[in-house]
Amino acid sequence: MGVGAIYLLVVGILLVISSIRDMNKTKQALKVTYKMSIMIFPVFFFIFVLMGLFQAFVSREVIAKWFGYGNGPLTVFLGELVGCVALIEPPVVFPFAGFLLEKGANYGAILGFVMTAILIGIVTMPLEFKLFGVKFSIVRNVLVLIFFFIMGLLFRVVL
Amino acid sequence: MNKMIKEALLYLVIGLLIWGMVAIFSLPKAVIIGTVIYHTFAETIEIIIAVFLLIGLIQVWISPQQLSKILGKEAGWKGLLLASIFPIFMGGSLFTLFPLMKILIEKGASFAAILAFSVACGGKIPLLPLEIKFLGIHFAILRLVLIIPVSIIIGLLGEFILKKWEPTKGKQTRNGGY
Repeated sequence: MGVGAIYLLVVGILLVISSIRDMNKTKQALKVTYKMSIMIFPVFFFIFVLMGLFQAFVSREVIAKWFGYGNGPLTVFLGELVGCVALIEPPVVFPFAGFLLEKGANYGAILGFVMTAILIGIVTMPLEFKLFGVKFSIVRNVLVLIFFFIMGLLFRVVL
Repeated sequence: MNKMIKEALLYLVIGLLIWGMVAIFSLPKAVIIGTVIYHTFAETIEIIIAVFLLIGLIQVWISPQQLSKILGKEAGWKGLLLASIFPIFMGGSLFTLFPLMKILIEKGASFAAILAFSVACGGKIPLLPLEIKFLGIHFAILRLVLIIPVSIIIGLLGEFILKKWEPTKGKQTRNGGY
C-alpha cells in the first residue's frame, strides 16, 4: 500500500468516527472539502502547467544558479521574494517547492519560498492594512521576512 | 462563492491557454508539460484528497468561534503559547484566517498573541503529507519544530516594537508579565 492510500485510510477512519459522533457536522465537513476541491484543483492544474513550463524551458542550471548552494545566503532572500509574489494556496506551495528542490534549489531558498508563500501576500496586503492597520502589517511582514531568512540560513547549512 | 468559481475557472483557462500556445510552437515541449502534469497529479491525487478531507473535518470540529473563545480569554504567557500552537493545525491560506485574527483582537488578545498566531498559521500540519512527499521528512519536522518558538519570538518582539512605535495607543497593557 502506498503512502497516499495510508493517508486516505486514516482520514477514512476519522470520517467514520466523525459521522458516528455527529452526522450533520460530518456532512458540513464534506461540503467544505467539496468547495475547497472546486476552488483549488484548477489552481493545482495551473501550477502543474507552470512546473511543466519550467521543465520544458528552464534548465536545471538556471534554477541551480539562482537558488542553488553555490549562490550564497542571498538565495534565501530570493526565495522569500518569489514566495511573496506567488499567488498560490498553501496546498500548492509544496509541490512547486519540491519541484524547485529537485531542480537544484537549496533547502534555505526553499524554506524562504514556502514560508513567505504561506505568510506574506502582496495581493492580500491591502486587506491586511485595512483590517489591522499599516503599522501592525509592516511589523508583521518585516519580522516574518527577517526571521525566516535566519531560519533559511540554518536550513541551508543543516539539511 | 460564484466569484471563487470564476477565479478557479480562470486558472484552468489560463493554464490550458499556456499549454496550447506551447503546443503551437513546439509539440515535444507540450508533451513534456503534459507528462509533468500527469505524473504530478497521479503522484499526489490521493494525498490531496486525504488532506482536503482532513481540512474539512478540522474546520467543523474546531470552529473559529471555539478558537476565539479559548484564545481571547487566555491572557499572558498561556494565551501566547496557545496562540502559537493552535494555528499550526489549520489549513487554508492566511487571508482566510484574517477575520478570525480580527475577532481575537476585538476580544482583547495581545499584539504578541495575534502576531504569534499569524506566524504559527504557517505550520500547516494538515498539509504535512504533501510536505513530506515533496520536501522530505527532515525538512518538514525541522520546520514544524522551529515554527512555534519563532512565532513566540516574533510575537514578543513585534509587540515590543509596536508599543515603542505607538505608545499612547498600545492596545493591551494588562499582560505586563512578559
